[in-house]
Amino acid sequence: MKYSPRSTRMRVATVLAAAGLVLAACGSDSDEGSGDSGDFGELTVQLSWIKNAEFAGEFFADSKGYYSDAGFSSVTLNAGPGATENLVLSGNADFGLTNAVTVGQIVAEEDAPLKIIGTTYQKNPFTILSLESGGNIATVDDLKGKRIGVQAGGNEVLFDALLAANDIDPSEVTKVPVEYDPAPLVNGEVDGFLAYVTNESIIVEAQGLPVTNLLFADNGLPFVAESIVTTDEMIENEPEKVKAFLEAEILGWKDACSDIEGGAALAVDEYGKDLGLELDKEIQQATIQCEELILTDEVTANGLFTISDDLIDQNMATLAAAGIELEADDIFDLSLLTELYKDKPELKD
Amino acid sequence: MDQLVRVDDRRSVARAVAMGRIRNVGWGVTRTLLSGVSVMAITLLLWVAWVAWVDNDFIAKGPSDVWEYLVGDDDAIANRAEVVDLLGRTLIDSGIGFVAGMAAALVLAGLIVLSKGVEAAVMPVAMILRAVPLIAMAPVIILIFGRGFSSVAVISGIVVLFPALVTIVFGLRAVSQQMRDLVHVYGGSDWDALRKVAFPSALPSLFAAIRISVPGAITGALIAEWLATGQGIGYGVVSAAGRSQNTKVWALVVVITVVSLVLYTVAQVVESFVLSRFGSEAGRA
Repeated sequence: MKYSPRSTRMRVATVLAAAGLVLAACGSDSDEGSGDSGDFGELTVQLSWIKNAEFAGEFFADSKGYYSDAGFSSVTLNAGPGATENLVLSGNADFGLTNAVTVGQIVAEEDAPLKIIGTTYQKNPFTILSLESGGNIATVDDLKGKRIGVQAGGNEVLFDALLAANDIDPSEVTKVPVEYDPAPLVNGEVDGFLAYVTNESIIVEAQGLPVTNLLFADNGLPFVAESIVTTDEMIENEPEKVKAFLEAEILGWKDACSDIEGGAALAVDEYGKDLGLELDKEIQQATIQCEELILTDEVTANGLFTISDDLIDQNMATLAAAGIELEADDIFDLSLLTELYKDKPELKD
Repeated sequence: MDQLVRVDDRRSVARAVAMGRIRNVGWGVTRTLLSGVSVMAITLLLWVAWVAWVDNDFIAKGPSDVWEYLVGDDDAIANRAEVVDLLGRTLIDSGIGFVAGMAAALVLAGLIVLSKGVEAAVMPVAMILRAVPLIAMAPVIILIFGRGFSSVAVISGIVVLFPALVTIVFGLRAVSQQMRDLVHVYGGSDWDALRKVAFPSALPSLFAAIRISVPGAITGALIAEWLATGQGIGYGVVSAAGRSQNTKVWALVVVITVVSLVLYTVAQVVESFVLSRFGSEAGRA
């Protein structure tokens, strides 16, 4: 697809407005931030999901002041799910949490100027969740002839990729539009439901219903998730801001994985207070995500958020299997993370 | 223009009946088309201005981007085929909702005019259906009616029902007491009064109801597609937005907006034709 070059029409008003904002920013922010890390103003992070233990690291980084130590004057954590990539591209968020396949598809199809600069989850927790007493979808062949609840947007990309990677014709499966509440699965409207094995799977099981999971990662689609995405513009023009953000994230997630219950409590009592979260479920989720999805051997050796070359190759193979043809450089840019760890090796400990 | 017709009437009743109708219709159609064109022009202007103001190539697509997507691009043929496919589905869904909503409105309006009891029972329910956001009701509707034809009919029908019902009841009630008495004096029943006097004199209201129901039915169909069926433009837009296929989002929104405007205009033209057949005064009850 083609895009017209940045247009020259527009703008007296825009320029004036922008100038006003810049002036205002210069005037008001100078008293914040700490010495060497500079002053990066307001920070907005687009989360991929509601504020549950999935973002324990972000909650620690905020509540313990890692973001403000890094030089951000205020922090807004926007709850998802939403069109993360669009929100980042439109400037509504500085950074977003998403996954390699969605980013890959958007970069390939729409030439989106986006890069993944690090990842929380080394493995993705996406699953086709089904009830043992219902669809009981244990293998990809079980998908055929079933009604699968898939949420509109990015999750459709993942589902299409799952089918493509396993040579299943989309016509063999009925895709049903659902929201993120797994009620349609429980009440039998659908046989399977695209979900997180760390979240909905636990919730449904807690209702006393034995579940079956068809994990994407085990069925031809290993890829990184809860990956931090930002614009090419940000990487190029404000590398220090990116590094400051990554540093705060690393510190936050170090805490989150060493204090599982603390992270779960932050979600239940503070950030997700209105959501009616259950502490036990959140602890269970936080435990699985740290043990199985985040702290792999590679991460223990290389540091949080890193993506090894092997893992990148694996991601590119996944994208290729899903019919998305890209080079690794098109979606991953880990240079700033590497630089950060070089400057501050103590972050690895 | 009111005055024009009336002056004509006074000058020569016979000529006015013939000429007035033709002029009425001709002028009516021209005016409708003119207003349609000016609405488009204003919308286009606002669109261009907004895109310039937002100044983000990736999110805000201008008319030229949409044109390229639908006509100029190498993939334009495939893009068009996809859009037409989705549009066809949406138009079918809108038709289902329109027929369901209008039929229900007509029947209920007749019953309401005949019986106070029915009014007391129906109006509050219709109000509730209108007042509760459809998005909140949708899961319940889907549970009861499934994700097919019936859900589309119900969801889109609900959007059509209330405004149509109120407009039609208003029209049926507009019959003067004397007219009704006349029917009764000649031995006619309430039903006869409804059939012979109220319905014909309510034609302007009926057509007004049809006109406002056209965009309503499309809105309802889009909601049903988004939440229930997963087909058509209603779902296509949501899905494309989630995949950051922004040009497609814009193209779909533009297409359904234009089609909605065109259908509204067609309803207006048909309305002026039909009403002119019932006399120049019929259109302005």
